[in-house]
Parts: sequence; structure tokens; C-alpha cells
Amino acid sequence: MIMGPLITIVDDDESVRESLPNLLMEFGFAVQAFSSREEFLASDSIHQTRCLLLDVDMPSMTGPTLQVELRRRQQEIPIIFITGHGDENVRRGLLKQGAVACLFKPFSETVLLEALNAALQAAEASV
Amino acid sequence: MPGPAKPKTDVPLETSVPYSEVPLESILCTEELQHRHARPPDYEKENRALVKLVSALADSPGTILQTLAETILEITQCDSAGLSLLTKDGKTPDVCGKSFYWPAIVGMWNPHVGGGTPRNFGPCGDVLDQNRTLLFKHFERRYPYLQPVIPSAEECLLVPFYVAGEAVGTIWSIMHSDRRKFDAEDDRVMASLGKFASSAYQALIHIEDLKFQVSEREKAEAEVRELARGLEAKIRRLVEANVVGIVMWNLDGSITGANEAFLRMVQYDPEDLASGRVRWTDLTPAEWRSHDERAVADLKATGLFQPFEKEYFRKDGSRVSVLVGGALFEASGNEGVACVLDLSEQKRAERALRRSEAFLAEGQQLSQIGSFSWRVATNEITWSEQLYRIYELEIGVPVTLELIRTRVHPEDVSLIEKMKMVDQESNGGNDFEWQYRLIMPDHSIKYIHAVAHATRDQHGQIEYIAVVQDVTARRLAEEARDKARSELAHMARVMSLGTLTASIAHELNQPLSGIVTNASTCMRMLAADPPNVDGARETARRTIRDGNRASEVVTRLRVLFSKKEVATESVDLNEAIREVIALSLSELRRSQVVLRTELAGDLPLVSGDRVQLQQVILNLLLNASDAMSGVDDRPRQMVIRTERDENDHVRLTVQDAGVGFEPQAGNSLFEAFYTTKSSGMGIGLSVSRSIIESHHGRIWASPNDGPGATFSFSIPAASAGIAQTSDPGRLRMSALTNVNGS
Repeated sequence: MIMGPLITIVDDDESVRESLPNLLMEFGFAVQAFSSREEFLASDSIHQTRCLLLDVDMPSMTGPTLQVELRRRQQEIPIIFITGHGDENVRRGLLKQGAVACLFKPFSETVLLEALNAALQAAEASV
Repeated sequence: MPGPAKPKTDVPLETSVPYSEVPLESILCTEELQHRHARPPDYEKENRALVKLVSALADSPGTILQTLAETILEITQCDSAGLSLLTKDGKTPDVCGKSFYWPAIVGMWNPHVGGGTPRNFGPCGDVLDQNRTLLFKHFERRYPYLQPVIPSAEECLLVPFYVAGEAVGTIWSIMHSDRRKFDAEDDRVMASLGKFASSAYQALIHIEDLKFQVSEREKAEAEVRELARGLEAKIRRLVEANVVGIVMWNLDGSITGANEAFLRMVQYDPEDLASGRVRWTDLTPAEWRSHDERAVADLKATGLFQPFEKEYFRKDGSRVSVLVGGALFEASGNEGVACVLDLSEQKRAERALRRSEAFLAEGQQLSQIGSFSWRVATNEITWSEQLYRIYELEIGVPVTLELIRTRVHPEDVSLIEKMKMVDQESNGGNDFEWQYRLIMPDHSIKYIHAVAHATRDQHGQIEYIAVVQDVTARRLAEEARDKARSELAHMARVMSLGTLTASIAHELNQPLSGIVTNASTCMRMLAADPPNVDGARETARRTIRDGNRASEVVTRLRVLFSKKEVATESVDLNEAIREVIALSLSELRRSQVVLRTELAGDLPLVSGDRVQLQQVILNLLLNASDAMSGVDDRPRQMVIRTERDENDHVRLTVQDAGVGFEPQAGNSLFEAFYTTKSSGMGIGLSVSRSIIESHHGRIWASPNDGPGATFSFSIPAASAGIAQTSDPGRLRMSALTNVNGS
């Protein structure tokens, strides 16, 4: 089976880490999930990842901070933020800082696919 | 005996003229009367003189002494004649008198009539001492007082003058020259005329006395008649006015007369009375007969009977209550009069009073309210029955301070003690309310609420009257309610506004997200080849449906807890504070907080959400109260202050005397879940900051110089032209950021 582009999920919520990879694999993506940014930064996936699904609300180091860290390492990975707080201001801020999308939990597969397509196009464009 | 002219008598005689040492015998020549050649008695002349005296007595008795003097002058052919009478008052003959007066003088010494001398200043005194006729020759040698009197007396013949057998004066005749000398005939005639005049004078005095007595009696009788007329008119007026019933009766039982008032009482007609059918013995019901008998006994013993209450039968057989008192007309007679007062109205009033007293007692028992009175002047304390019940004391035992003290909580001031304080402070009485506790013998506590009122009785004396209520049940209910209210306030504090919404949303959205995703996956799997089980598809669909439903719940919660827009209105911060204080007053009281407000009178309005601002105020108030809950060594003083702040801001300050905070805590006080309290959740201050910031304001805390802390916020005044709309997004963002740590 030919694996699609690698999508990496960073979320502290276990239910998200279990359900989201399954759906993405149904779409034909390769998927990896991490519960914290430290884990992710320490892994090899950081170089193969074509798109990052990042929870905004993580403890210790919040989502946007990880974005800054990746930029510092010159790892330009398109990022889709997901958040449990439906706050329009937060979304606006994140998009301004370069996020591809910001999805409010819970989101439909249609919305997710649109965002992923946009992210992957952005990734191709940057290559 | 004549003396100097009247003007000279102005000088006190006794001191001005010393008694002479010339002996009496050297100036007397009484014995010569027997040896001188006596004129033959002129009986005709003497007879005429007596007739003259008798005529005088008959025609004008008052001139009898004057007539006597004239008669003596005429018969003895002397130069001056007159009478000297002893007197005390200067005009009435009196045998004990200390001086003489001269009621009648004729002849040369006539100008001296009306004058007089002290008893021993002239020859008269010596005549009375010797009680016989004396003939003096130049008596002025012995009586210096008489020396200035001219013409001087060559010879003076004096005979005693008797009234009722007593010598009260002298009759005298004087020769101022030696043209003739007195002889025995003069002595005899003078004694004879004197004796007659004496009798006449005595009769005159009797007549005068009789006349006086008669006139006095007439005067007295006239007065009595006048009095009787007045009395009669008054009594008639009394009878006819019919103010009281008046009845005249006989001891045998008959009624001889009565006025209308009496007849009205017993409802008889005057004709009944006239017929003699109405007898007072028949008017009296059997059970009152003994009272009547006692009254009759009193009448016989003392002539009257004291008023007493009894009943009479009316004509129709019904009864009337009366007060009756009376007297006999004459002490030993049979007839008398009685005054009768209709007591029906008083009896009715008494019954009404007894009934209303019974109502009052019943009402007090039903309402559990007792009453209490204290007369300041007499220190007299009166309790109602219900008050005894509240105090659980035997009804009727004398109420003393000591007895009250056995029931009142030792830490509390009893009502009577409070009354005394108020009385001393106000000096004239004040109304007040008072609460205190009682400890019953079984150690249970009663809460007492009293409302006292100072009043003045008809004598102007101050009396305090209080109603006293056992409010124990109410008090316990209040405490329970206050506890519930404070728990509610705490809940509201913990779960306010968007904080809760954000928390719930976040907590729900995470699993929801999983559910939706799983369901989608499930659908995908089923769409694959080979297709998956139908049951799985159904499960997936249900999962989606449940997930969406959960999401809707969140949406509703969000609407409920966080307003899309902050309601903006003009808010009077002082008024908002007063409402919050009113809400939390019992909480503050329970926490024994002494609250002082210093609200600026000219505070500008602010623009914002009144309810949110009140939540902040309530939060600061409760925090301050909590901070002082362990303070026991100083007053739990809280000060709420409003004032104008710089830049057209309005500042509110809450200062407590509580435990304070560590200086390095600083701003973290306002972060969610920061708390110094064991029971708190630490959300209140973070929410408060969110609210104040959404009002474009600032909230901060600073330690006091002394114990405790001061929390303040400052927000723009409405007139400062700040945007009227707040920024709800910012509020939510702030809350969201704070809760992320959960």
C-alpha cells in the first residue's frame, strides 16, 4: 500500500489522538500522533511531516509557541490549528501568524479535508 | 380727773412726769367737810336733778354721764365738774383699767373732755385706792402731771363711782377759787346723785348690751336666712338638674319624693311615686337587703351612710346598678335624703374593659407577643401573662431586676437595663428597638426582639411600654436562609460568567471532537470495499447525532452564561454599592463585620453592565469579609469608599483589616485559581479583573499600612466620552486564557 503524505497530530487529548489518525488513514494519509510538542520535536517525523494538526490548548508549551520554535529551526510545516474554544479572535490571530486554518472542535470531515488540501498545496508551493 | 390739754398727751406720760413725793395726807382736807358750815339740803333742787337724770335716761341714754356732770355743777355751784372712768381701751369702763378717761367734763375744764391720765397720775387713783370720798386742796402739789393745767384746782371733791358694785371711777367737782368751800351737803348730794347715775349707767350698759345682742342676733338670723335662701336655691338646682338621682325617704320604707333622674333610673312615673306604691325596700333585690340593713344601722348611729354600690329593680323587673349614699335630715329623725348615681355605663365599660383585656391576653398568647411597662418615677414594672410565659416564669411572681437577670444571657443587656440607659441618655424618653437573648433553665437559647415606646401618663410621669416577641423560630429560619444565601453567593462567585462557559465548552468539545471523528471514520470504513456491517453504520450515525446534540448543549450553555454583548447603561456606582450591601448585610452581620461607607456625594455615573459591576463589588466585599473571619484581636472593620479618580475615572475601594497578602503575590492575586483560602477556588478575582478590564478599567490590590489589604478598581466615568460598548471578546479571551491551566 502506497502511503500518502505524512500528517502529524499533536494533541494532549487521547480521544483525538485515537480517532483522528483513523480518519486520516481512511483518506489515505500516513499519520503520526504525539501528546506533547516536546515528543514531536524529539522525533524523526519532524522532517517527513507535510502538515501539522496542532491543538491550541496544550499545557506547558502552547500551540503558537511551537510554531515559533519550528520557524526558528527553519522547518516550514503548514499548520492546521484545532481548538476546543470557539473563539473567533483566537482564530484571527492564528491565521494572521500564518496558520493554514483553525478548526473549532468538533469539525466535520469535509472541513478537515478542505483544510488538509489547502495545507498540502501550500506545502507543494513552498517546495 | 382732768389733765393737760390733749396735745400734751402725745408725750408718753409715764416717762415724762415722775411721780411726786408729796404725801397724800398733806393735800387732803376731807375731815374739814364735817366741820364746815353745811348748807341745808335743797331737796327740791335735788329732786329736779334726779328727774333730769331720769329724763336723760329715758330720752337719750347716751348723754346720762354728761347730764350727771351738769347736775353736779349746778347743785354744788362749783367751777368744773366731771367723771373719770378706769378703762383699758380708752372708752369702755373697766375695773382693771390702767388709766382714766374723761367721758364728761363741764365748766371751766370742759376743753379737756375726752382726755385722760394714767391711773396714778392724779387724785382719782388715790380715791379708788381708799374707796371713799376725798377732798383735795391744790392737788397739783402731789401730781406734777397736773401742774400745767389751768386754772388750777383750789379744792376738788371726789366721790367713787360704782358700776355693778365695783368702783370704776370718780365723780368730781372743782373750785378754782376760794369763793366757796365744799361741805358735807356737797358730799352727800354727789354721793346720792352718783349712786343714781351709777344704777342708771349700769342699766344703760345692760340696755346697750341687749341692743347689741339683739342686733347681732338679727344680723346672724339675716345671714342664716340669706344662706338658707341660697342653699335652698342650690339644692333645688341640684334636684332639678337631674345630674344625680335624688330621693327622699322615710326609714319605714316609703319614698316621699324623688327627682326625674331617679325616676328615670328605676323607670317609674311621678304618679307611681305620688300613689305611695313605690317603696325603697321593694326596689331592692333580696341579695342587696343586707347592704340596706347596714346602711340603716349606720344612719341610726351616725345620721348618714357612706356611698355603696347596689342594684335596684326597675319597674319592668330588670335591674340597674347604682351608687347610693345618704343622710337623715335630723340626727334622730326618720326622714332623709339619698343621692343615687347610675352605674350602668361604668359597669358596661368595666365589662368591655375586662373583655378587651381578655382579648389582649388571648391575642398576646396567639401572637407570642408579651408586653412590658416600666414607670420611671416609681420603678414599677408590669408584665403581661404572655411575657411570663416567654420567660418561663410563674405568672404573677413579682418582677425584679435580679429575677430578670437569672434569665437574660450573661453577655446581653436586658430590656429594662437598656430602658434605663436610654432614659438616662435621652432624659425624657425615646423610642427604640432592642434584641437580646434569654437562657432557659434547660440551657436553650431564646432570641427576644423588643420595641419600646416612651410615653407620659396623666401625671406627666414617663412610662416605657414595650412589646416583646420571642423571635427564636424566625431567627433560626433567618440563620438557615443566610447560610443558604451565602452558599449561593459562593457558588455564584465560583461559577460566574464566561469562565464557566469556557470551561464547560472546552471539556465537552474534546470528547465531542473524538466522537464526530470516529463516526466519520466509521462511515468511511463502510464505504470501502468490501462494505462494512450495517450495524456499524447505524452506530456511527448515532454517534454523530449524539455528538451534535452535545454540541448544542454547549451552545445553549454559552448563550446562557456569556452574553454576546455587555449590557451597557448608565450606572450610579453608589446606588449599586448600596444594593449589594443590602443583599449582603446579614452575611456581614453574621461575620461580625463593622461596615463603614464613605460614598462621594458628587460621584459621576459610569457606563457599563450594572449586574457585572455588582458582581465585582460583591466579590470584593465577600473577600474582605472572608479575610477577616479569623480576626479576633481587633474590630473587623471594613471601609467601602467611592471617589473621583484622575483622568475622569471613578474609583471604588474596599479596605479590610484581615490577614492581608504577601507583597510578592501582587498581580497573581487576579489569576484564576490563585487563592490563599482553604475553601475558595480562586476564580472570583480573575473574573473581577475580566469584568473591570471589559469596562476599560483597572483593578489592583495593595497591602495596608496596618493589618489587612485594600482592593480597588477604577473605571471611566460615563461623561468622559469613553466608548459606550464594552469588548465582550476581550472578556472571554481573558477568561479563556486563565482557565487553560485546568
